[in-house]
Amino acid sequence: MKPTHRDLLVLFALAGWAAALPHYASEFVVSMALTCLMYATLSSSWGLFCGSTRYLSLATSAFFGIGAYTSALALEQMPWLAAIGLGAAIAAAVAVVMGAAVLHLRGTYFAVLTFGMTELIRHAITYWEKQVTGTVGRVLMVVPERDTIYLTLLGLAVLAVLTSIAVRRSRFGLAMAGIGADEQRAQTLGVNTRLVKIAGFALIAAFAGAVGAAMSVRWTYIDPHTVFNPFIGFQTVLIALIGGAATLWGPLIAAVVFSVLAETLRLQAPQIYMMSLGLLLILCVLYLPGGLASLRAQTLRQWGDDIRGGWRNLFSRKAKEAL
Amino acid sequence: MSEHRHPHPTRRAIVQAAVATPAALAFPSLLRAQAAPVRIGYTMARTGPWTTGAQVSQEPNYLLWAEQQNAAGGLNVKGSKRTIELISSDDRSDIETCVRTYEKLMGSDKVDLVLPPWGSNANFAVAPLANRFGYPFLAPTALSRRLVEMKLPYFFLLLQQPKPMMDALVAMLKENGAKSVAVIYVDDLFGLENYAALKVALAGSGMSIVEDKSYPLGVKDLSPVLRSMKDKNPDAFIGLTYPPDTILASRQSKEIGFNPKYFYASVGTAFQLYRNVMKEGAEGVLGMGSWNSKTSPSAKAYFDAHVKKFGAAKEPDRWASGATWAGLEILTAAVAKAGLDRKAIRDYVAGTEHNTIIGKIKFSGSENVGTPGTVAQWQKGEFEVVWPKANATATLVAKPNWV
Amino acid sequence: MSLGSWLELIASGLITGGVYALVALGLNLQYGLMRILNIAHGEFLMVGAFITYTAHVTLGINPLLMVPISFLLLMGLGLVVHRLVFRRLTRTSPTLDIFEARGLMVSFGLMFLVQNFAQTLWGGDLRGYDFMADPVAIGGAQFSANKILLLVLALTISAALIVVLNKTLYGKGVRALMQSPTGAQLMGIDTERLHPLMFGVGLGLSGVAGCLLSMTYTISPSMGEPYTVTALIVITLGGFGSMAGALAGGLALGVIEAIGMHFTNPSLKSLLSYGIFIGVLLWRPNGLFVRK
Repeated sequence: MKPTHRDLLVLFALAGWAAALPHYASEFVVSMALTCLMYATLSSSWGLFCGSTRYLSLATSAFFGIGAYTSALALEQMPWLAAIGLGAAIAAAVAVVMGAAVLHLRGTYFAVLTFGMTELIRHAITYWEKQVTGTVGRVLMVVPERDTIYLTLLGLAVLAVLTSIAVRRSRFGLAMAGIGADEQRAQTLGVNTRLVKIAGFALIAAFAGAVGAAMSVRWTYIDPHTVFNPFIGFQTVLIALIGGAATLWGPLIAAVVFSVLAETLRLQAPQIYMMSLGLLLILCVLYLPGGLASLRAQTLRQWGDDIRGGWRNLFSRKAKEAL
Repeated sequence: MSEHRHPHPTRRAIVQAAVATPAALAFPSLLRAQAAPVRIGYTMARTGPWTTGAQVSQEPNYLLWAEQQNAAGGLNVKGSKRTIELISSDDRSDIETCVRTYEKLMGSDKVDLVLPPWGSNANFAVAPLANRFGYPFLAPTALSRRLVEMKLPYFFLLLQQPKPMMDALVAMLKENGAKSVAVIYVDDLFGLENYAALKVALAGSGMSIVEDKSYPLGVKDLSPVLRSMKDKNPDAFIGLTYPPDTILASRQSKEIGFNPKYFYASVGTAFQLYRNVMKEGAEGVLGMGSWNSKTSPSAKAYFDAHVKKFGAAKEPDRWASGATWAGLEILTAAVAKAGLDRKAIRDYVAGTEHNTIIGKIKFSGSENVGTPGTVAQWQKGEFEVVWPKANATATLVAKPNWV
Repeated sequence: MSLGSWLELIASGLITGGVYALVALGLNLQYGLMRILNIAHGEFLMVGAFITYTAHVTLGINPLLMVPISFLLLMGLGLVVHRLVFRRLTRTSPTLDIFEARGLMVSFGLMFLVQNFAQTLWGGDLRGYDFMADPVAIGGAQFSANKILLLVLALTISAALIVVLNKTLYGKGVRALMQSPTGAQLMGIDTERLHPLMFGVGLGLSGVAGCLLSMTYTISPSMGEPYTVTALIVITLGGFGSMAGALAGGLALGVIEAIGMHFTNPSLKSLLSYGIFIGVLLWRPNGLFVRK
């Protein structure tokens, strides 16, 4: 079976199982599944652009928040799916503007800038809300059914993975991978790097905006601090990196693992959760830069050799000193 | 892994049994309190910027109340006594945690009753939930016109709202001849709403605002703002601040020598902590306060019980603590009358005039219209109510310069 | 506003700016020399603050004495962190870009680790202690003594660092490494020893900044992040790698913020800072003071 067919089959099997979940699982499990789906979408789409082009974007929270605010403000006037679509569209538009301004900068500059812009947007909206509208947050009174929200998120997650599968096989995906490998060479080979980068950036923004739009109703109350929380962006990046940003299933698996951890630990022992997240990230970057998905038997064997070599060195040095 | 089994009952169990047996023999009603406990859930800020306020005004009262009720055999639920079981957690001054936890408490855990969290922001966020799940909320630390306007039938605000508090302040200042005011306000729901109410109250009063600045929660340094206010020499300084900022503003005003005739800082001045930190400097400082142990005999009884349980170093504050206790008194009476039928409790709370330690409380919609707006002042180590004259426990004195 | 008040305002801006400069210098050393963008920098500042607080409150040690102690403690911590984490990165990263990216990610992890560790240890509340809080009158203005001390110490340490880098042989070695790593190594400068040392010094500086801050302001485990951001803004303003630029940038930012807050609102401070940050990154990525 071709790899694509296999991937599609797995995807639909999972989707089917997930769709049935709300009917037999408890409230808590469904809420956990919701978080899983959210991060699965966010990190899959993030990995799609940032994993291949190696441009680390920390702007996920900005797009998420934009989507959330859009749907909070728009839900009174328009139907559910339209609000989601609007959220995605506005987020993508902002991404195009942001991208055009900053995508010519390399690596660290880009990451730091996206972070700065996220914070700028957050503080701008906070200030606007406080001084102009005179409010701190917004209460959502019109809230759709829990199952609607769940199915929407499931749909978005499936769409994200499908897009991932499709893009990887397309010229667009190859162009992005080329940019990641060696941008200058890609340019000389005729790739319009600027356009590709902006398009990719807008794509992940659209997904983040859609997810934000859908999740805002979960909270019944949103304020800039909650929906523009930089931690959403950090966690997305962490999950994608630990899972293996350039792979298809890596982010998904990592998203499930971390969402479970997050939901179980967050209310009781959030510090332990965050510390383990930080530690895991450090260990991953140091020892497993390709992420968990790149873990192979060979890697484990290599680690075994490294550890044994380390011990030998230690003892031989001690032996030399003793003499 | 094998489980260790204690061959002998633990010391604690023995003591409990030793205490319970004679008590049970003496009070047969205790034997009947084997019915399921009343489960009451809430979150409270135990870490983060809201902690100071939450741990002075609210949580100690919840604990004291549960202890008092249980010591008397349990909460009176329409005639039968059932022990109170408090189910609480730290919300870390984070709204999202508040919302999720209350959703869990009311939606999945389905507790019998809930108690509200601290602060206008958190209450604003969980109010729609109260309505959705049908749990009455008696909030003692929320000030918000918006909350009142939402007309949520299950939500009750015990504290005086921005309008009466600011009207009282302006009336007092006007009567004493103040002409100019400088204002700082926290850009939180509390600060924003009080500032709006203040501006409305000042319009047409003959007093002018010479400077007004908003600042974010958690600000580290207010001295630049205070310095420029000092330069303008206003008669009154009005700080619509939270406890950490109240203390910051007071200390930094002292640091730079800013001595207006009237120094008002809203929340935090009613705390014993303020007196501890500012020492003699607290003399003459104004703030939001509505009671002390002189207000009524039951107020004194409450004060003494609080100090007995938590120690002399942890007095209740002279504003929100009183409202919290009053809310608990109302809840107790409601459960005694209506049992655990939450709709009946809500109707009782909404429709009755209640007698509490801070006076009569009556609700019009969500708002408590029984308690008037008040201003209090530190005088010789006690926070006295100085306005309106009808509720005053002392008269206004001039504020000496900072020492 | 009277002239006296203007001077007071600018002076208070300089005081804040002095701390910014100190924090930025540490970050600058790490990035300029080793291309390690240590996002966790502010967290180590917070550690310095808490160590001083704990030492003062439980052991009664004079905070002034803690200034060199926190420097040494955090420098030690820096050496350990470099050895455990960044050294391996240097060895295993194929290109400089990848090294920078990985360094960034790792420091993210460190940020989570350190901040939450401190929160578990000390709890999330605000803490503070009084030290030299008596007002001192200078001219017509009143300042609290600890703020003046803060400014004086921050300026002294920054100036000392710049002098060391410019005049001593060691310092020249560091600057040579910053300009051209290969060339410097060819000249016999030992990267292996200098990198960890300078990383340690960078962290030590942030520890000192934290110690100084604990004397004047309240502290909490989440206090670090805003200072990291400010340090980033400062080194962007001053130019990556330029020490004098970081000093000037820090002081300038402090004054700009003070004046900005005066004309608008303290609520606008963050917006202002980020706006400056983005603006400089987009239009003058080499810093305001570097001539091209």
